[in-house]
Amino acid sequence: MAAYQLPQWAALAPALLLALTGLVLFLIDSISPRSTDRTLLAGTAAVGALASLAVAVWFTAAGVGTPTVDGGEGVIEIFDGQFVVDQLALYFMIVVTIVTALIVVASYDYLAGHTYQAEYYSLVVLAATGMATVAAANSLVTIFIALELTSLPSYALVAILKDNRGSVEAGLKYFLIGALSSAIFVYGISLVYGATGVLQLDSIAEVIADGGADGFGGLLGLGILMLLGGIAFKTASVPFHFWAPEAYEGAPAPISAFLSSASKAAGFVIAFRVFNVAFPLGEIGNVIGFDWTVAFVVLAIVTMTVGNFAAATQENVKRMLAYSSIGHAGYALIGLAGLSADGGELVMGAALMHLLVYGFMNTGAFLFVALAEHWGVGRTFEDYNGLSSQAPVACGAMAVFLFSLAGIPPFGGFFSKYFLFTGALQAATANTAMLAVAAALVVNSALSLYYYSRLVKALWIEDPPATRDRLGQPTGLYAAIVVAAVMTIVILPGFGPVAEAATGAAEALVN
Amino acid sequence: MTVAVEYYVLLSMAVFCIGLMGVLTRRNALLFLMSVELMLNAANINLIAFAFYHGNLTGQVFALFTMALAAAEVAVGLGIILVLYRNFRDVDVTVPTTMRW
Repeated sequence: MAAYQLPQWAALAPALLLALTGLVLFLIDSISPRSTDRTLLAGTAAVGALASLAVAVWFTAAGVGTPTVDGGEGVIEIFDGQFVVDQLALYFMIVVTIVTALIVVASYDYLAGHTYQAEYYSLVVLAATGMATVAAANSLVTIFIALELTSLPSYALVAILKDNRGSVEAGLKYFLIGALSSAIFVYGISLVYGATGVLQLDSIAEVIADGGADGFGGLLGLGILMLLGGIAFKTASVPFHFWAPEAYEGAPAPISAFLSSASKAAGFVIAFRVFNVAFPLGEIGNVIGFDWTVAFVVLAIVTMTVGNFAAATQENVKRMLAYSSIGHAGYALIGLAGLSADGGELVMGAALMHLLVYGFMNTGAFLFVALAEHWGVGRTFEDYNGLSSQAPVACGAMAVFLFSLAGIPPFGGFFSKYFLFTGALQAATANTAMLAVAAALVVNSALSLYYYSRLVKALWIEDPPATRDRLGQPTGLYAAIVVAAVMTIVILPGFGPVAEAATGAAEALVN
Repeated sequence: MTVAVEYYVLLSMAVFCIGLMGVLTRRNALLFLMSVELMLNAANINLIAFAFYHGNLTGQVFALFTMALAAAEVAVGLGIILVLYRNFRDVDVTVPTTMRW
């Protein structure tokens, strides 16, 4: 027990620290608007992200959010339950802050010579604030506001290379589809509100359990489907995945990494929380006539198949990674597809683990692309030929990321996929459709090995073109890539605590 | 005499569908933005009608938040459309095709 009790709102400290960092960056920018002091700006952002990460880890270790029966401090509710800090919230705050810290450090080199330094870093940190807030949001109002706080800076970040036609085009497409999906999301919220009369997630569940929504099954069902649409956009899942390849390809590579790891994780935390807390399985099936797991089974299979098959046909490395990130969204959706009225915490815990490991390996892979863009070697597989002879460390790290993404044993990606597979098989006892999901997981992983190893082959086996300049070794990018690679490997011996945290968070949510 | 809540839902669904049609058929980015605005306002009609129906203020307060966020979204969107115009000399959303899948 702590010697003194922190106030309740202090439980949101990870998000508050990020918000504070964003404001400090604005302050620096307003004091010296023309300054492009990269060390100061990137340093401030990195310190903020790391402080937020440290607080989130400390809270987890101190038992904040752990139920009191397990010896923890209990779940903390803030503003009458508009926010709730539990294990799930802290877990996703950790994922988001890790990715943010990696991105900020890598951007130090990527943005060299860029005019809008302070704006860039403050937008990144503000988007991270939104993601950390999303993790703790426990009402459809706070979820929507935090989601927009995540989205609006992201639109601007994708289009931040103002004279680059690809970046602007990507920003436009991301914005158009994002605006459409947030309109659909808020309309879904209004329908759920119409059916139940409340917006807080646990109150929605109570109203549904009391039969208060019995006459409104159609309205509620339509509302839930529309919420699902908004979530599918944020996680880049079918049917709202069209923006992803365009936005990731056109955006600055660190931003692609940010969107495909942290933003996707934020989308998943909404999905996990909304569907488990507000629409508990069983009761919801009686009101709207079907269980939402059916929708997730279909979405998971379609998303992973579309993502992986499209990735296999790409010639552009960044685009291949974009499609592979759609495929990985499909893997994480298994966590929701495998739930049943009386269990499923194993498969959901596996999805949480996958999102953490994915935060390292996918961010690392996109940062390698950032490094290649920094070198100016080109965008296609052939342009990457033989890079290992000039930059063995970075290429070794990239091989680690790619094999981990494919799910090859010695790396973190293998374990999370293995848990997803066993979880899906276990869930198949309650829902036979999960057998198809497990089969799709295996087939898609095998297919993904093809295009990942194609890139490894280009890097390590093909001969380099005769005319290539010497490649620099930018410190920030190298540091971020090496840290991500080391974490992808050491997460294997350290998998115990991670698995414990993930299953703990899943259990608290499901039951 | 008050109007039954069904009519509000019908109205909001009509507005939502008009907005959706606009999004799907228009090529001008500005009209696209206006159509999205219609969809958001359809949600506002719903929220306010249901707040009246349920007799609590939650929906009305949320409608205020939605308006503020819609304005923020338009601000970011207009910025993006402006750089789009500078780069492509057009606000037609079908013109920027440097990337294809």
